Amino acid sequence: MLKEHQTNLLKQYWFLCFFIKIYLWFSFYSSWRLGVLAMKLFFCQGYLMNGFSFRRAYSIARKEVRHIVRDPFTLGLAIGLPLLMVLFFGYAMDFNVHDIDLTVYDLDHSRSSRQLAETFQSSGYFNIHFRDLDANMAKTLDSQKARGVLYIQPHFERDMNREGTVTTQVLIDGSDNSTAGVIGGYLSGVQMAAIQKITGQTASQPVSVVTRYLFNGELNSRWFTVPGLSVVVLAILGIMLTALTVAREWENGSMEMLLSTPVSPAEIIVGKLFPYLVMGFIGQTIIYLAARLLFGVPFAGSHILLFIGTLLFLTACMAQGLIISVTTRHQIAAIQFSQTLGQLPAMMLSGFVFPVESMPIFFQYFTMIFPARWYMVVVRGLFLRGAGIEELIWPLLILLGMDILFISMAVRFFKRDVEP
Amino acid sequence: MKFKLPNFKLKLNPTLIGFIKKELVQTLRDTRMRFLLLVAPMIQLILFGFALSTDVRNIKISFVYKPNDVLMREIEDRCYGSSWFIPAPKDDSNPFHLIQSGRADAVLMAPEGGLTRATEIGKGRVQLLVDAENIEKAQSIDGYVKSIVAEALEEHTHLKQPNPPIQFSVRYLYNPELETSVFMVPGVLCMVLVIITVVLTSSSIAREKELGTFEALIASPAKPIEILMGKTVPYVIFGMVDMFLVLTVAVLVFHVPMRGPIWMLFVGALGFVINTVSLGVLLSSFVRNMQQSSMFGFLFIFPAIQLSGLIYPIENMPWILKPIAYMDPVMYFVALLRNIMLKGGDLGLFCTYAGILYAMAVFMVWVSSGRFRQTLN
Repeated sequence: MLKEHQTNLLKQYWFLCFFIKIYLWFSFYSSWRLGVLAMKLFFCQGYLMNGFSFRRAYSIARKEVRHIVRDPFTLGLAIGLPLLMVLFFGYAMDFNVHDIDLTVYDLDHSRSSRQLAETFQSSGYFNIHFRDLDANMAKTLDSQKARGVLYIQPHFERDMNREGTVTTQVLIDGSDNSTAGVIGGYLSGVQMAAIQKITGQTASQPVSVVTRYLFNGELNSRWFTVPGLSVVVLAILGIMLTALTVAREWENGSMEMLLSTPVSPAEIIVGKLFPYLVMGFIGQTIIYLAARLLFGVPFAGSHILLFIGTLLFLTACMAQGLIISVTTRHQIAAIQFSQTLGQLPAMMLSGFVFPVESMPIFFQYFTMIFPARWYMVVVRGLFLRGAGIEELIWPLLILLGMDILFISMAVRFFKRDVEP
Repeated sequence: MKFKLPNFKLKLNPTLIGFIKKELVQTLRDTRMRFLLLVAPMIQLILFGFALSTDVRNIKISFVYKPNDVLMREIEDRCYGSSWFIPAPKDDSNPFHLIQSGRADAVLMAPEGGLTRATEIGKGRVQLLVDAENIEKAQSIDGYVKSIVAEALEEHTHLKQPNPPIQFSVRYLYNPELETSVFMVPGVLCMVLVIITVVLTSSSIAREKELGTFEALIASPAKPIEILMGKTVPYVIFGMVDMFLVLTVAVLVFHVPMRGPIWMLFVGALGFVINTVSLGVLLSSFVRNMQQSSMFGFLFIFPAIQLSGLIYPIENMPWILKPIAYMDPVMYFVALLRNIMLKGGDLGLFCTYAGILYAMAVFMVWVSSGRFRQTLN
């Protein structure tokens, strides 16, 4: 029989092997792809880069900028979305529950029972309401009048003095996990305070554990969520906008027209995507500034690494958007696919709210295929911990590999469609 | 006197029926739509019911102690023996660096002279360094380690601490094990409904506008009310069908309890779906193409779900967001769903919330049909 930590070690070993395999595969593939690209560029006769003209790409970009400026929605999304996200996640999202309604049924009416109820109130987490016992205590929770019930039985004080220990019942509404767990956590603190208040004893332990919280000493949950927002915003902006803009050209039939001009496919792609790259960077800048200025999140890492990571991640997103638009060619489908591929992984599978380490083992590997997960490592590492290049080199390399893979896939699909 | 029964014959408007049929066929024949209607909700359900939870597991922990410290080794074994921790590499020189480089989430450091010695003198501090980036995780780690250390100490010193004078016996009602799936699945149901109804309705109208077939509709002899009904009724049907689909899977696969009567759920869901569908109509009246409709849809759905109390409680929101939360139909429906499914449906609460939902629905239908007529004329 294997012990728990041995199986864990085995898992880690397997994980390592898996990683090395993926890495080798990526490195072979990407070096081959890069080599081919370099050759083509060098001899200037490859089909992809044949006579690539920045002037023509620039004209396409200018046309795209006009589209964006004319349509206030796109621009509004690029600026409005980050602001909206920061507002909601920065201000609304708070797992530290306070003002919990607690109904107290005090059947003892003694000094101690009142003190116990007062301790709940003075802890700052609870709002207590006294009520007389009616038929069914659980009814208060059923009708959502309170989130918890404290039931102090008759002879509470007498039992405590006589037997030295007494148990009171606390009922918590378990239909809302996120609050129920937190309330349960507060109870031990309240218990200590109540014991001290009522009996005057202090619990003293000869050997104690002292916890030091690193990088976020005040346990401010915003320092955790706000930097992670950039992943969500970039994923949505990058994938959705790209997918839509190209799909629209297909749907309107103007793509065929563009292709019949001397502009090459590569120039179209570069020209169409560049303005959205800039918009992605604007979104990232807004989040960064909001994090630093509004929420005071420290930035301990290197800005160059952040820039490189953002560039790699945005490229991956836009390439995904391109693949979507080329394969679907319809806006309505493009929207749905980009929501499935952009929003869902970025919000749910990147570790933005739900930690990746806690997922079942299959999902831990499954999340690896999404760029958002790797960019999340980069952003989180850079902001609070100040992770260095030696730690971030892996995620960055994987992002680079994904970029190359996605771009070559997009170009291949694009070519296949253009030249039937 | 002969009592004459009034002749109630359900008048089925053939234009409307044809319209609804067209819309149903058009949606169902598209593979991607079928995917969106049938597969996407299942994916969401599986993700939320199975993969995602805020429980903390696989914590990388490292220990710093002298080799002869028996008690610390005991604690280490206990940590790895529990399902929460996995070993991190040891680096005696600088535990801080171990955490900073992301190789460990926590480091437990023995007091000077060792923990075994410290218990003998009866004085000492074990230091726990925790990466507090994710505060929920940090607090869980703190709790886990403290309980393990206390257990080990108690066993080592053979000193059973006397029972404290006051104890709480805590019971979590409705979901005693605090399972994530029980909590999340009603929420997922709600999310699926919002996304399907709002997005599909608004994008189907936006598509007609973009393709120019909307003009053809206006020119057709169909009355505005028929166009409006034809565009909305199919999506109400889709929403309701999807809800029962997700509900079946939730109850059969994830064993989410369904304690309340099904009619309550049906009545509540119908009120909610009318709200969201008319919202989709309202949104579509402001847009010219599908790109805008999807963005508008997102800009509505995102805050609506965030403010609904689905993920974090409304009580915690700042005062400025609370009024908006109370105007959010999603919030009432989430509360209603959880109450019906987990608590068996409190009649008073049901009447209040369903009443609010239907009042909102009446208002929304009034506003959106007004806007819709305007765009038609």
